[in-house]
Amino acid sequence: MNALPNPLAQRAVRQDGALSAPVSGGDQLARQLTKRYGDRITGSFVLPGREGQFAPLPGDMPPALADALRSRGIHQLYAHQAQAWNATAAGEHVVIATPTASGKSLCYTLPVISAAIRQQAKALYLFPTKALAQDQVAELLELNQAGALGVKAFTFDGDTPGDARQAIRLHGDIVVSNPDMLHQAILPHHTKWAQFFENLRYVVIDEVHTYRGVFGSHVANVLRRLQRVCAFYGVSPQFILCSATIGNPAEHASALIEQPVTAITESGAPVGEKHVLLWNPPVVNPDLGLRASARSQSNRIARTAIRAGLKTLVFAQSRLMVEVLTKYLKDVFDSDPRKPPRIRAYRGGYLPTERRAAEREMRAGHVDGIVSTSALELGVDIGALDVVVLNGYPGSVAATWQRFGRAGRRQQASLGVLVASSDPLDQYLVRHPEFFQGAPPEHARIAPDQPLILLDHIRCAAFELPFKDGELFGPQDATPWLQVLSEEGVLHQEGERFEWIADSYPANAVSLRSVADGNFVVVDRTDGRQTIVAEVDFSAASLTLYEGAIHMIQSVPYQVERLDWNGRKAYVTRTHVDYYTDAIDYTKLKVLEAFDGSPAGSGSAHHGEVHVARRVAGYKKIRYYTHENIGYGPVNLPDLELHTTAVWWQLPQRALDQAFDHRQQALDGFLAAAHALHIVATVAVMAEARDLQKAVGSGDGAWFATPDVNGRAQIRSGFGEGEAATLGPFIPTLYLYDAFPGGVGLSAPLFERREDLVRLARELVHRCDCRAGCPACVGPVLAADEQNEHSLKSLATRVLDLIIAL
Amino acid sequence: MSALADKLRGLRRQAGVVPPAPVAVAKRERPALPDNISQLLGIRRRAQNAPQRPQRQESASLPGQTIAPGLQLSETSSAWPPSPSTFHAAFARLDEVIAPERLLLFDTETTGLAGGTGTRAFMIGVADWHEGRFRERQLLITTLAAEGAMLDCFASWLRPDSVLVSYNGKSYDSPLLKTRFRMHQRACPLNGLSHIDLLHPVRRQWRGVWENCRLATAERQLLQVVREDDLPGAEAPAAWLGFLRGGSAEPLHRVARHNSQDLRSLGGILGHLVTQSTSLLWDTSKTSVRRKQK
Repeated sequence: MNALPNPLAQRAVRQDGALSAPVSGGDQLARQLTKRYGDRITGSFVLPGREGQFAPLPGDMPPALADALRSRGIHQLYAHQAQAWNATAAGEHVVIATPTASGKSLCYTLPVISAAIRQQAKALYLFPTKALAQDQVAELLELNQAGALGVKAFTFDGDTPGDARQAIRLHGDIVVSNPDMLHQAILPHHTKWAQFFENLRYVVIDEVHTYRGVFGSHVANVLRRLQRVCAFYGVSPQFILCSATIGNPAEHASALIEQPVTAITESGAPVGEKHVLLWNPPVVNPDLGLRASARSQSNRIARTAIRAGLKTLVFAQSRLMVEVLTKYLKDVFDSDPRKPPRIRAYRGGYLPTERRAAEREMRAGHVDGIVSTSALELGVDIGALDVVVLNGYPGSVAATWQRFGRAGRRQQASLGVLVASSDPLDQYLVRHPEFFQGAPPEHARIAPDQPLILLDHIRCAAFELPFKDGELFGPQDATPWLQVLSEEGVLHQEGERFEWIADSYPANAVSLRSVADGNFVVVDRTDGRQTIVAEVDFSAASLTLYEGAIHMIQSVPYQVERLDWNGRKAYVTRTHVDYYTDAIDYTKLKVLEAFDGSPAGSGSAHHGEVHVARRVAGYKKIRYYTHENIGYGPVNLPDLELHTTAVWWQLPQRALDQAFDHRQQALDGFLAAAHALHIVATVAVMAEARDLQKAVGSGDGAWFATPDVNGRAQIRSGFGEGEAATLGPFIPTLYLYDAFPGGVGLSAPLFERREDLVRLARELVHRCDCRAGCPACVGPVLAADEQNEHSLKSLATRVLDLIIAL
Repeated sequence: MSALADKLRGLRRQAGVVPPAPVAVAKRERPALPDNISQLLGIRRRAQNAPQRPQRQESASLPGQTIAPGLQLSETSSAWPPSPSTFHAAFARLDEVIAPERLLLFDTETTGLAGGTGTRAFMIGVADWHEGRFRERQLLITTLAAEGAMLDCFASWLRPDSVLVSYNGKSYDSPLLKTRFRMHQRACPLNGLSHIDLLHPVRRQWRGVWENCRLATAERQLLQVVREDDLPGAEAPAAWLGFLRGGSAEPLHRVARHNSQDLRSLGGILGHLVTQSTSLLWDTSKTSVRRKQK
C-alpha cells in the first residue's frame, strides 16, 4: 500500500471526493531540483492523485448522527470507514492502519457517538500529545453541534482546571486524554471515575505506532492496569486503535492490548499528487567515498524552497542539528534585526510557553521556514506547508511518511525530500527506494515484561486495587514482584492478599518515557540568573552535559561550567564560541548468561544477558562550517553500567586462523562486520539507532576493540589511555545490544531473525558502490587502505561468510 | 532481601534512580526466589507456602473490644462537651433546623495523605449525644481484611436523617471513605446526607485573625483545650503501620486518644458556633421586629 497523506483532503469530515488540478508548487520545485542536481537524486517518484472508494452511510447508524454528517457535507463514507463500522459492530477490537489524513478519526467517531446516543455509553480516547487531543475535541464538538447530538466531549489533561474535573468525570460521554494522564491521574483515582468506568464501552487509541520501544512497553502496562480496573467495574471495553502504516499493525495492536485485533489497512480515501525525492549528498572525496554533509544539502534545498515562496519545514534528528540549521537559515533570511523573524526553531526541551508562541506564529503564516525535531511530527496544528525536508532519515519508514505528510494541506502539489546523512543507516535506505515504495518494511516492537517497567506498573496497579496471591498481570504471575514490593515496604501481605500500605502516590514517580527517571535539569546562571532552561535524559547526560560541553538552546550556545552528577543538575552560562563539542566514548561488554544459542556457519550465535560498561573519555571541539577538529578536552564522569540483553556472534580460533593472516586482520573484519550488521538490524526492529548499540570484544570482557583514527581496530583492556591488552584465548565477539537497563526486547527478535540479518548485511557490503569500504557499509576507510588487498570490505565479507548459515 | 530485589535495585541504579532502602519488616520465611531476571521473565512458579503471620509479642493490649475478626470497638461517654440545643444551621450555610439527636460527628485516622485509591482509614471515630451524654465510638482495624467489617459497622450507625459533622471532612474524610466503600463494592451511606464541615464557618470568621484555622488552633482559641502527650496527627500512619508489621500496640492507644480529643473538640466547636449563631439570630430577629414596629 503506497497511498499517501492526502494534500487535498482538508479534514476527514469534509470529503467531497472531487480533486482539482494541482497548481504549481512542490511539483515545480521537484522538477527544478531534479534538473540541477540529478546526480544527487537516488530515487524520485510521484504518487499520483487517486480517486476514492466510497460506501453509503450505514443504515444502522442513528438517524441524528447521519443527519449531522450530511450537514457537514459527508454523504458517504470511504470504504475503510465502512469496514471499520462493520467490524466494530461485530464486537471486534480493530486497528486502522491507513495514511495520515485518510479520515481515520471517523472510523472511531461513528461507533463511539452511536453508542453514546443509543446507550449513554462512554468512551475514552488516548492521544500521545495534548495538542492532538484538543484538535480531536474541537472536531467532535463541531459534529455534535451540527446534529444537536447532545454528546459531551472533554479533554482531560494536565491543563484541565480542578473545578472542571468533577464535571468531566460525571458528565463526559467522551473523555479525551493521553496515556500519561490515564497513568497518573485517572487510574489511581478510579473510584472517582466509577460511573465513567461502569459505562465504558470504547477505548480509542490513536498513533499506536508511536507506542513502541520503552514508551510502548509502558503504555502496554498502563493498558493492563486499565483492563484490570475495568474488570473491577464489570466491563470489558472494545478497543479501536489507529496506526501509521507499519508492517505489523495487527500484531502490534494485539501486543498492546493483549487481545486479538482485526486490522484494516486499505485506504479508500482519495489522494492528491505528491512528489518525493531521495537525495544523497555529492561525493566530495571519491577515494574515501566521503560525501558532503546532509546539513549543507538540507540548507540549500530549504533556501531554494523559501526563496521560491514555499512554506518549508525542515526536520532534523537532534536538538543540536535543529539549532545549527536554524542558525544557517537565519544567517540568510533574518539578517535584518528590525524585521520580524522568518525562521523559527521548534523542539522539545523548550518551555511550553515558548512552544505555544512558536505554534501561533506558524499558524498565522508569519514564519516561512521552520526547523524542528520530531516534536512536530504528530498532528500539532501549524497550518499549511508546501515542502518538507528531512535532514537525515528519521529512523523509520513510517516516520518518514508521517513527516512528509506534513506538507500538502493546500490545493497544490507538495514535495518531500529525504536527505541522507553520512549515517550508514541513511546511506542504506537512500539506496533502496523500494523501502519507500513496497510494503512497509518495519515492525513495531514492545517488551511489556521488561523487569523495571513491569515492577513500576505492578507497583502502580497494587495502589489501584489489591493483588491476590498468584494473580496474573498481563501473562505474568505477579507474585515474585509483589514480594519485592513487600520487602520495600510499600505492600503488606495478609493471607492471600497484597495491599498497598505506603503513604505515597507511585504513579508520580513513574515516567512513561524512560526506563526509570533520573533526568538532569540545565540551569542557566548567566549574569546571576538561576533559571531552568532545559531537561536532559539520564542516558544522554554524560554525552551532552560534561563540563566544557557546548549545549545549544534555541540556537544560543551555552557552556557547561559545572555538572552536579548526584544532584542531577548542569550549570551553564551563555557563551560566544565558533565551535560545538562531540563526546568520545568507549564501551566494554561481558556475557553474563546465554539464554539461547545456535550454530552460525562455522561459528555460533547467541542471545542472552550482558554487562556493559561505558565511559565518556573526552570530547572533541569542532568548528562550525569547516567541521575541523580544533581541540580536545577531558571528561571525568562515572562509568555508566548497564545490565541488558544482547545478541552476539562468535568464531572459534580454528576458523579464524584459516581465514585471517593475523589477529589484527580478524578484528578489523569483526568491527567492519559489526558496522554492517548494526545497520540492517536497526531497520529490522524499527529501533532508534541509539537504542540498539554494537560492540566488538572478547566473550569474557577481558578486552574490547574500537576503531582508531585510521579506522583500524585497537584493542584495549581498560578505559585508560593506550592500555595494551594481555590476550588469553582469542575469541572475538560481535555484539548488538539493547541500550537500556534490563533491555527492551530488541535482542530476542534479532536472534530469531539472525540468519536473515547476516544475509542482509552480507548483501549490503557486497552491493555497496565503494571499492574498499565506506561509512555506508563497513565504516570509514582511509585513503591509504584503498589499494590494500585486505580492505575492510573484504575482511567484513570474510567474517560474514564465516557466520552465514549454510 | 531477595535476589530479584537485588537485581532490580542494580538495574534502577543504572537508570539513574536511587532506589529506597528496604524497610525492616518482622522476619518471616519467604519462598526462594529465582536469582536471575532472565529466568524470571518466564516464571510461572507460585509461592509454595503462604507466609505465616508473625507472632506478636503482646506487650500492650489493643484498645477496645474485638467485635469481628480484626475489628476493635471502643465506646466511652463523657459529660463534656454538652449537647447543643436544636439549632438552625445557617452558620454552616445549611437552611435546616437540626435536632441534636441527628448529629453524627466523625473523624478518621488514615494511612497517609497521598490520596487516590491507595490511602485508607484504619480508624473511624464517631461521636453523638446519646442519653444526654457525649458518646464516642471508635472503630479500629488490626488487619486489612477487617476493613469491610469496619465500613459495614460505620454504615449501620448512619440513619437517612443523620447530619454529619466534621472538620475538613468534606474534602478529606468523606471522599476518602467514599473511595473505600467503592473499593469494597458497597453503596456509600454518606451519599445524600447533610454535612456540616466546621472548617468553613471557622475560616469565614477567623481567617487572618488566627495564625491558621487548623483544628488544634480552633480548639485552643475557642475552647482553651490543652492537649496532653498528644500524638501529632502526622505520626498516626507510622504508629499503625508499625503495629501491622508486628510492632507494639502501645502507639495505637495514643492514636485513639488523639482521635478522641479531635471528636470532643469537634463537639465543643460545634457548640460554640451554635451558641454564637443563636444569639446572633436572636439579635437580628429583634432588630427586624423593631424595624417592623417603626
